[in-house]
Amino acid sequence: MSAVPHFTPLYLARTFVRTASCRTTFPKLPRGILTRFHFERLAPLTLVRARVLWRAGLSLLVFAALTSCRHQVELYELAPDDIETTLFLIGDAGEPDPRQVGPPLDSLTAQAAAAPERSIIFFLGDNVYPAGIPREGAAEWADARRRLEAQIRAVPPGAQGIFVPGNHDWDNSGPFGLYSIRLQEQFIASAARGRNVRLLPSNGCPGPVSLDVGRLRLVSLDTQWWLHSFIVRDSVSNCPTNTVATVTSELRAQVRPPGDRRIVVVGAHHPLITGGEHGSYCGVTGPFRRFGGRSQDIMSTANRTMRDSLRAAFAGRPPIAFVAGHDHSLQVLRGGEEVDYLLVSGAGAPSKVSCAVRMRESYYVSARSAGFMRLDIMKGKGVLLRVFRYPGRSTGALVYSRWLEPR
Amino acid sequence: MTLRSFVFCAVAVSLPRLLPGQVTALPILAAEATPIGALPPVALPMPASRDYNYWGARLQVGQRRERGPEDLLAVAGGIDYQVRGGSIFGATAGYQWRQNCQSTTGDCGHTFYGARARFNLITGGPTVAGLLGDDGATSTLGTEVGFGFAPDIMENQNACTIDVGVPLSIAMLERLHLVAFLTPGAVWDLDCSAGDTTPQRSYFLGFGLGLQQLGFRGLDVHLGFQRMFRGATGVQFGLTVSWIRLP
Repeated sequence: MSAVPHFTPLYLARTFVRTASCRTTFPKLPRGILTRFHFERLAPLTLVRARVLWRAGLSLLVFAALTSCRHQVELYELAPDDIETTLFLIGDAGEPDPRQVGPPLDSLTAQAAAAPERSIIFFLGDNVYPAGIPREGAAEWADARRRLEAQIRAVPPGAQGIFVPGNHDWDNSGPFGLYSIRLQEQFIASAARGRNVRLLPSNGCPGPVSLDVGRLRLVSLDTQWWLHSFIVRDSVSNCPTNTVATVTSELRAQVRPPGDRRIVVVGAHHPLITGGEHGSYCGVTGPFRRFGGRSQDIMSTANRTMRDSLRAAFAGRPPIAFVAGHDHSLQVLRGGEEVDYLLVSGAGAPSKVSCAVRMRESYYVSARSAGFMRLDIMKGKGVLLRVFRYPGRSTGALVYSRWLEPR
Repeated sequence: MTLRSFVFCAVAVSLPRLLPGQVTALPILAAEATPIGALPPVALPMPASRDYNYWGARLQVGQRRERGPEDLLAVAGGIDYQVRGGSIFGATAGYQWRQNCQSTTGDCGHTFYGARARFNLITGGPTVAGLLGDDGATSTLGTEVGFGFAPDIMENQNACTIDVGVPLSIAMLERLHLVAFLTPGAVWDLDCSAGDTTPQRSYFLGFGLGLQQLGFRGLDVHLGFQRMFRGATGVQFGLTVSWIRLP
């Protein structure tokens, strides 16, 4: 028997995955390997069939590897002068390492510092784990302050930092939520020290609030307002929109900015689609979460009602992207008729990263690794999405890129 | 019960059912004649958005070989309904031929029908695929139950089966999703004609490879194999092309 010892199934499988991931070149198979592999012990009739099956299976694998190995990461060289605005998306970053600021926050800061005047850092909620800013004097107060300060310092001078509230910022969906949001807003203002950082929407209001920068219109929403089970307004709220109907109506108006070639990005904490835990994936409880009635999960009625309202507001004039956090992974998803792309960038804290699955809507999925996304809005035309992933404490790389608007 | 004694019992149960005019026809087990044995196994459905329910269609062709002089060839079509991007319910109808048929009565083919529910219990991380270096892979463990009915598989003999299984799928790669799957399970074949026979149980193991989202987002192609651990039932293999209508 002329066996080929090093071509074991495990070796072939590893080589196949590495090849399909574009991490190596496909091995040069010795002549005859397709028919020689461990078949000599078989009976003649079975041998013929085994060879056919082996060839068919291996051909399928090679075909899959080759078609998957179109480089998914394009290192686009963008001339700095061609970039109008750079929008950084990072969510659920409210649990930074207490010993040192590591990735992805430090890497995001370095990128934003290269051109701070055109950079906007969008923190997509859950800015302070586990339950937002507590009352001053509480045992957790100093640590909550530390968590928020780490993110405020990640905004380089000259850049803009926008914080969107998440469910954990609302006292982890607790009764102190509205007041915790107000404390967070006050703290952001006091800790800014000259930086352009703010909480949007402010004062516990649901929004939407728009920010126009060149071609970009950035619409900020507080989706926890829709899902909160306790008080969401009081005598000092004074919100321009304070009912579901007015929020939806105002959102419909704001995603239709005047002018040509406007780029509308809507940002909130809760995603419209996700393949993570809040999408009832990952873990044995997944399919049964619908019976739990947790409003934070996609399958709950309250969450569905909110998403239906948002989608209805987008109908007829789809934004280029709806960006969110909530699930601690990086996902680029197809949006559908109401929105072109759905981006989930909730991997801002390495200690919180979690599972995500590939769905039929998925263009890219990164699970269990920290990271952030970057949108470059080009002058004239073109929007480039780039995803940066940090599997280790000190290593990271660009892992995905895609033109959301062709240049 | 050893495999040999199990085969002996199966043959002993089957033989008295053969009518005098059929002595030249080889028996066909109910489990071979209904969708669970006539058609190739398929991977668990790929997850999709929880916002929608999806309708889909499926074409399958399968061949059961090495079961003696007669091979079995089957083609079938089906419709599937995926509930909120997870579990799937399907109905199947098809026709099965005996190749090299030795029957003197001319009953060398029959129709079959089936219904199947597949529940995704755990859909999560890469598990095994992580060892191979694909940290973004998706593993799905589920359970399934199926019912099959095939009228007149032999003269005056119908076939009914019920089967349960614990399928496992691992989907890998970014652009074109390669899915490897295992479908172990058990099938009980019942004689619908007599109605008073003891259900015969067979274990089976299916496995295969598939390509998901082949060119179109909803198009999947699976190559499946199945071995039924009962007598000379041979090896089943075949191809499934399925399509899910996405919004």
